[in-house]
Amino acid sequence: MSQSTITIEDIVKKTADLPTIPAAAVRVMQAAESSTSTAASVAQILSADQSLSARVLRLANSAFYGLSRKVNDLQEAVVILGMRNIKNLALVAGTYPWMSRPLPGYCLGPRAMWTHAFGTAVGAQQVARVSGKVKDDVAFTAGLLHDIGKVAVSVWLENKVVAILNYANREGISFDEAERKILGYDHTQVGEHLAKAWNLPEDLVAAVRWHHSPDEAPDNPPLVDCVHLGNYLTMTMGFGLGGDGLLYRFSEGSLDRLGMKAVDLDQTTDTFVESYEQYEKLFEELVAA
Amino acid sequence: MPTATAVMVGMGDIHVAKGDAAYNCLGLGSCIGLVLFDPTTQVSGMIHVMLPETFPGRPVDKVGKYADVGVPELVRQMTAIGAVSSRLLAAYAGGAQVFKFGAGVESKLDVGARNTIAVTEQIKKLGCKVLATDTGGNCGRTVSVTIGDGNVRVRTVNNGDKLLCNLRG
Repeated sequence: MSQSTITIEDIVKKTADLPTIPAAAVRVMQAAESSTSTAASVAQILSADQSLSARVLRLANSAFYGLSRKVNDLQEAVVILGMRNIKNLALVAGTYPWMSRPLPGYCLGPRAMWTHAFGTAVGAQQVARVSGKVKDDVAFTAGLLHDIGKVAVSVWLENKVVAILNYANREGISFDEAERKILGYDHTQVGEHLAKAWNLPEDLVAAVRWHHSPDEAPDNPPLVDCVHLGNYLTMTMGFGLGGDGLLYRFSEGSLDRLGMKAVDLDQTTDTFVESYEQYEKLFEELVAA
Repeated sequence: MPTATAVMVGMGDIHVAKGDAAYNCLGLGSCIGLVLFDPTTQVSGMIHVMLPETFPGRPVDKVGKYADVGVPELVRQMTAIGAVSSRLLAAYAGGAQVFKFGAGVESKLDVGARNTIAVTEQIKKLGCKVLATDTGGNCGRTVSVTIGDGNVRVRTVNNGDKLLCNLRG
């Protein structure tokens, strides 16, 4: 099969409707990592985005938090939910509109990409908690964004995915390896390009870039390993599987570096699914309106 | 022609019915969708198994998640409404795994292959007859069962929709 002549830059330049993260969500992300942020300053950022503000208030008033009275004030909502929950909420609310669209290039129907991204976010968060080596909210963010490259590559893969799968199976290679053979790059490299264009922090860019090949990541950051394992849990449990299915390599090195053992993974799978189902209900309610 | 509305069999779910019924198990990765059918009493049931076995000392929140307790529970619920275990016909699909696993099942990571083995063992122990299986590989599967006409169908991206078997022979 001959290699495509379209470059990563072409893909990013020529793809209409490329995803973006709302400015307020990016600012909340930055604020959550800053030691000088206060509930008042985060509430002020949120108030610039009416839709986001409404969702934050709805979440604070949801049955999940079980408050006895209604919260109408954004600053109070930030205090109740905590800065890190607010950050994840802002990201979920800001990415859902484009992540829930179908991606025909990967045979992902409506909401399938979202289900996979959200599953990986919850999975990476779970792994971060078990390993204790990464902040769990950072793992959630990285998991949510890990496949952003697929959104850009999808349109260029339409009508080709079965051929790529057949090629991968014939050559005995993984799906991302087949993407590189055919396109000259894979969705993680395109994702890296997008993540840099969005000015995401370096650790998130690395998680997007190396989530299928964590052993090759410079300095092996534990966040990359968390996302790799979160992605593995999500694929094995069948959350948002596309044409690429489970056709990816697994790195046992990720387990070693996080101090986890293969025998613990079944139990992590179990708690991951419980956690996923709990969060799914919560966020469904949130993004529905 | 089958007329029953399909029941969605989610992770760890067990559904049973007497007479016409239909079941869908969507997005199976390493999980297994197993359907059982007693042609004499028209009792059917389906389970969506997630893991091969329960964990020692850990409470079981949902029996259907685990092959070791879930498959016997499916048969128990079916016999409670009239099925006879030795008459049960079985078909199952799923048990996929990530790339490059699968030569053996030494690895504890190989949950797809371990699920397949666990379900197969339970079915054998309970004396059910296996009509057809579609397990392993790297692709996600959707299993659709219509008891009315007996069809068990498996859909994958690579191979489209295919008839796995007919429970009515």
